[in-house]
Order: sequence, then C-alpha cells, then structure tokens
Amino acid sequence: MTRPYFPPKGLSVKFALTITAVVAGVAFTIGAVIVTLDWQRYQTELESKALLLAHSVAVTAPDDILQNDSWSLYKSLKNMANDASDGMQDTKILTGMIQDPDGNVLAHLNPGNNPLGMPLIHSGEVETRFFTASKEVRVPTILNTDISVKGFLEAVAPIYSDGKLLGVVRVRLSYKELYQKAQRSSFVIIGMTLALVALGSFLGTMISRRITKPLTAMTEGIEAVSSGELSDIKPIPVNFDDELGVLANAFNKMAKEMVEKKSLEEQIAVSEKLVALGRISAGVAHEVNNPLAGLMNCIDTLKKHPDDPELVERYLPLLDKGLNRIKNIVESLLIELRTEEAHGTDNSSSLEDLRDIVVSEINDRDIILNWDNTLGEQVLINRRRVQQIVLNLLKNSIQALPDKGVVSFSTRQNSDTIILVVTDDGPGIPAQYKSQLFDPFFTTKINGTGLGLWIVYRLAESMQGVIEVESEVGMGTQFKVTLPLIELST
Amino acid sequence: MNKSWLTAIWLSVLLCISMGHNTRAESLETAEAVEPIRFGLTAVVVRENLRFLDQWAHYLSKKMSQPVEFVRRRSYREVMDLLVSGSLDFAWICGFPYVQNRDPEFIKLISIPVYRGNPLYHSFIIVHKDSPYQTLDDLQDKVFAYSDPDSNSGYLYPQYLLAEKGTNKEAFFRQTFFTFNHAETVEAVAERFADGGAVDSYIWEYLQEFSPELATKTRVIKQSPAFGFPPLVARLGVDFETVWQMKNIITGMDKDPDGRKFLEGLKLDGFGDPRPDLFDNIREMVASVRAAQPGGGPVTYGTEVNTGITE
Repeated sequence: MTRPYFPPKGLSVKFALTITAVVAGVAFTIGAVIVTLDWQRYQTELESKALLLAHSVAVTAPDDILQNDSWSLYKSLKNMANDASDGMQDTKILTGMIQDPDGNVLAHLNPGNNPLGMPLIHSGEVETRFFTASKEVRVPTILNTDISVKGFLEAVAPIYSDGKLLGVVRVRLSYKELYQKAQRSSFVIIGMTLALVALGSFLGTMISRRITKPLTAMTEGIEAVSSGELSDIKPIPVNFDDELGVLANAFNKMAKEMVEKKSLEEQIAVSEKLVALGRISAGVAHEVNNPLAGLMNCIDTLKKHPDDPELVERYLPLLDKGLNRIKNIVESLLIELRTEEAHGTDNSSSLEDLRDIVVSEINDRDIILNWDNTLGEQVLINRRRVQQIVLNLLKNSIQALPDKGVVSFSTRQNSDTIILVVTDDGPGIPAQYKSQLFDPFFTTKINGTGLGLWIVYRLAESMQGVIEVESEVGMGTQFKVTLPLIELST
Repeated sequence: MNKSWLTAIWLSVLLCISMGHNTRAESLETAEAVEPIRFGLTAVVVRENLRFLDQWAHYLSKKMSQPVEFVRRRSYREVMDLLVSGSLDFAWICGFPYVQNRDPEFIKLISIPVYRGNPLYHSFIIVHKDSPYQTLDDLQDKVFAYSDPDSNSGYLYPQYLLAEKGTNKEAFFRQTFFTFNHAETVEAVAERFADGGAVDSYIWEYLQEFSPELATKTRVIKQSPAFGFPPLVARLGVDFETVWQMKNIITGMDKDPDGRKFLEGLKLDGFGDPRPDLFDNIREMVASVRAAQPGGGPVTYGTEVNTGITE
C-alpha cells in the first residue's frame, strides 16, 4: 500500500504550512517594525547632526559678520563641512551657506558657483520659499522634512546679535547615505527574516513529519486490519516519549493482539470444522447404524429361514423402510450437490407450488397459515433452492408449533434483494441452542434428522444470502432470508 | 591635507614648544638668570612648518647661548605693537611696515633675506587658473582677497595699482577681505571664494612646491616690480651686543651646515646686510596711495587707516 508521503491536503502539509505562515508572519512583522524604527532613528540622528552643524557655524558667525570677515566665515563653514565628513561616515553635506537677511551670500561651500555678496544664482521658487522660511526661525530648525520630494534635509540656524538678524546658516544633508544605510540594514533584516522563515518551515516540516509519520503508519495498519491483511501491519517505530509514542505503543500492542487473535480464531475455526466434521460423521454413522442393525437382523432371520414366505412378507417392508431412511439421510446430505445440479431458474410464482405441500404438511392439525407472496412474475429465482429453503423453514415452524399456532410466510423485494420471511408464534428457541441452530444433526425433536436448518443455511450461503433469526422463548420465532436479486436472476 | 588635523598637530606642537622652552628657560634662568630673546613672526612667513621653527629657535638659542623663542601673531600690526611695547626683541616684518613713519623710531634693520640670488621679491596678482581674467581690470566688481593690511605684496601693491588707475579703490572690487596669510589668499582664490588675490611671490612659489594641490590652481596675471624682501628688524631698546650677535648668527647661517639646512627649508639663499634703499619703491608706493586717498594725510602707525575691515 503506497501513498504520497505528503498528501496535498494532509496534516503534514497543513502543519508545515501553518508553522511556516506563523513564523513568517511574526518574522515579517518584527522585521518591518525594526526597519521602520531604524529608519526613524537614522532620520532623527541625521536631523540632530544637521542642526548641530548649522548651530556650530551660527555660534561663531556674529563677530565675523559684524567685522565683515568673509574669510573667517568661509573657514568656519569649511571646518564644519570637514568635521562632518570626518566624524560622520554616513553623512554627506550637499551644500552649506551663510546668507545675509537680503539673501546675499556671505559664504558658500561651493564658492565658485555662488559668488560672495550676490544672491544665489540657482534661485527658484523652492529656494525662495526655503529662504523665507529660514528667516522666520528663531532657533536651529529642520526645514525640509518631505524627504521623498527633495532627497535632502535642510537645517537652518539664524545668526542673531543683540536681537538683530544678521544672517542665516543653511546646511543641506543628503538623504542618499541614509537611504543606503537603511537599505543595508533592511537587507540584513530581510535576510534574517527569510532565514527565520526557512528555519520555521524546516522545523514545521520536521514537526509535522514527526507527528504524521506514526499517524500514516497507523492509518496503513488500520486499513490492513479492515481489509483483513493482518500480516501487512508493521510495528510503528516508537522513538518518542510523548503522546505519540504512547499511541504508537498502544497501536502496536493492539495490532499484535489482533494478529494473535486472528491466528487463534483460525485455529478455532479449523478445530470447529473438525468438530463439525466429526459430528457429521458421528451423526451419519449413528443415523445409518440405527436402521442397519434392524436390517442386519431381518437379513439374518431371512437367511435362517430362506423358505419362510411369511417372514419375507413381514421383513421386506421393514428392509424397504430401513433402506429408505438411509437413502433419505444420504439424499439430505447430498442436497447441496443436487441443488447445484439444478440451476434452473423460474419466476417467483413457482413459490406458490409450495403452498399445497405446506398445507398437506399441516395435515389436519389446528394451525393457521398466512401466505403473503408479493413477488411479481418478473422476479426470477433459483426455483429448486429457494423452494427448498422456504419449505424447510415452514416445516420447521409447523413441527415446532402447538395447536392453534400461526405460521406466516411473506416476501418483499428491495432494489437489489428479495427477502423471505417465515414467522411463527411458537415456543421460541432457547438461548443456549441459538449457536447450534444451523449445525447438522442438531435437533430438539424426537424424530428430527437435524438436517433441515443446516440445509437452509448451506443453500442460503451458496447464493450469498443472509439468514437472520429473531426468537424469544414463549413469543415466537422469525427467520428472515435476504437473497441478492442478481443471483436470483441468473 | 586636513585642516582640523593640522590644527590639532599645530596645537600639540605649540604646547611641546612652549613646554620645552619653559624647561630650558628655567634651567638657564637658574644658571645665568637670562630672559629669553623673543623673535616675532607673522603667519605671512611660513605657516605650516612649526617643527621647523622650533628647531630653528633651538639652533639660534644654541648659537646665542641664550634661549630664543619665536612669537607668532596673526597680523603685522600685532607684531609691531609688541615691538613698540618692548615685548619683542626682534621681528621678521614686511617692507611696508618698515617704511612707515614712526615717531619716535623704535626698530632697526639688521638683515634682509636673499632669495634666488637677490634680496628681492614681487607681489603677484593671482586668479583661478580656469577663470577668464587676464588683467586687474577684469576683476572689477569681483571679490578680491588681500593678505594683511600691512603687507606690501598682499595689500599695498594692489592698492597702489588701483591708485594709479585713478579709480575709487574702495569701490573697484565688489567685496574684499583679509586672510592675514598669503597661503590662505592662495587657498581663497584656488577655491574660487575670491576671484583674485594679491600674494607674496616668495610664498606663492614656495607653495607651488610644497602645497601644489592648491597653488597650481592659481595663475599669476600681474607681477609687480622687484621689492626689497621682508626684512629682519631689531627693537632699538635691545642691547648692541645681542643685536650684533644675532645679526652675525643670521647672516652667517649660509656658512654653517646646520644653518644651511634651515635656509634650505626656508628656500632662501641666506641673510644679507641691510640696504635701506631697497625699500625706496615701497616708500614711493605709499606716497602714491596716500596722495590718492581723499584725506591725503600721512600714513603712520597709530592712525586708523587699515583696520582689517573693509566697508
């Protein structure tokens, strides 16, 4: 019995997928949170740096501006930029400048393109807006936080002396390095997340395999049990101390016991067969032996008096009777053989032929027969066998019934079976006899052969039929024989 | 080279120098009880070679049998102030301060450096090498960097040129500023912070060799006539013996292996005898500039002519 190791809808796949999904969900959530926090932290750091840089220039600027010392202003701007590039690896100053309140350049990190004492050459609407905003601030402030638009961050620091605005320091830091830094840490986090997911799915697979492997083995074992192939059950390896191990142990124990039980049953069946065979042999010997003794006596007497016609006349009927009895017994034993030969089929109306035989069997006893044969003429039956079954059951009931008893015969038809029911309100079958009911030569009647029900059993069995008996002492007995329709039609 | 790093080195070296000097001064003080000879320098000379100056001071101390220490000040004005107050004994100043009228006179010329065979140098008007400017006129309404307001090559000469043109020298350039250092004037021009600048030819040529990354970005568009090289002066109050000894040591450096080493470092041939007439053309320039000034008064120390602030 082979099956895919991971059936697509199997527990193992579901387990693995669930664990993977849970691990992935948790890992990705944590990863996303870390990435977001990282980004925020980097951004805050960058803003602090920018503010610090702008502030550092603004602190020393008032004297230089008042003394018109452009060179010192420029040098403090340059020193700020050098300090920034030395001390902060991930920071790149895009530009830095000092402007007077009219917007003229007092110093610029790119002096070649931004001449001293002139307005900024590349001055657009955005630049104007920034400059206007920078004049409004009283403390170092971050102006551009909309990083996605500009790709830089601008810190401005006003230069005040005695409450008079002398100028503004403006420092622009690139976001590119920040992006790259965040990207690098994101890659690390994504990598770790994927590794976690991979680990999770691996563990999930391991756990589900570990759980479902014994389950699969047990399923196979149970299927083997249900199909009767007990030899197919292999013991499930018990590797664990947990519930699965206990289950596997219990299953192994059960399977072992079932195998033992089956072999025991087989032995019992064999011995029962031998017992039945012995009982049949003993019965045959007994039944045949009884008349044989009388027959031998008759023959002995006739030998001694071969010329006595009176004896011949007296003993011949006895011989005839004794031999007939033996013949009946043999015929009964061979009934199966006979009915095997008679494969003739007929429509079910042939059951009606039995009615007269049964009535004659009742003879003049005070017994009521209810006859309710509803099978239509289109239903074909094996006439000889079915007739024999019904006749034997009816005769059995009639013999068991006391006077004023009622015996009923009825038929039913289902989609693929016909059901024959014989019911009586006789004394019922004592419980202790029920197991021997269909044994050959088992009888409770003085003159019974004990073969009637045995024949019913053999015939029903030959047609894959089922016999159900319901009986209660003092209430009556019902025999229900269910025969497959297809078998009847052939 | 990195500026902040240099500053750190500069500070630590300065600290070492001063500590070294203190120790030496103390030991000498206890032995001979002598005050150190204080020699004033401005950053106009050579800015970056502090270790060199330390060794040179040590050399002079040994020769003088008396501690000599270099005192650096940002501007000539500060050096002159220290001389007049008696805080300095000697100083290496510029021709322009030297020719100023002093009443009473408080300095005396002791030696003039010999550069490339002559005690002469020039003023260079420089621009960025990629700029379109070819003459001083091209720099009108541009930004101009001066060195020191008392520097001949870095201030007086361009002032003289403007006076010669008859233009209003305050209005000719859009903006001017002082770097107080010829090397930084070169830097300002090289980085295009200034469109033009006036520098000492000796320093500019020195930087071509020792700081080419900046200096080669500049180009000379005008060279002045030869001027007397910035001279060494002694304060008049210093005793004759010390001045005579110092002069001999300095002028004899080219005959001494150790001294030649320092001269090589300074890119000088030696120190020669004073020839006051060397500075006559500077005197003439001062007169021209004075004549062109609205007030026209004499330029002397104590008058507020060059404050270092341009309005």
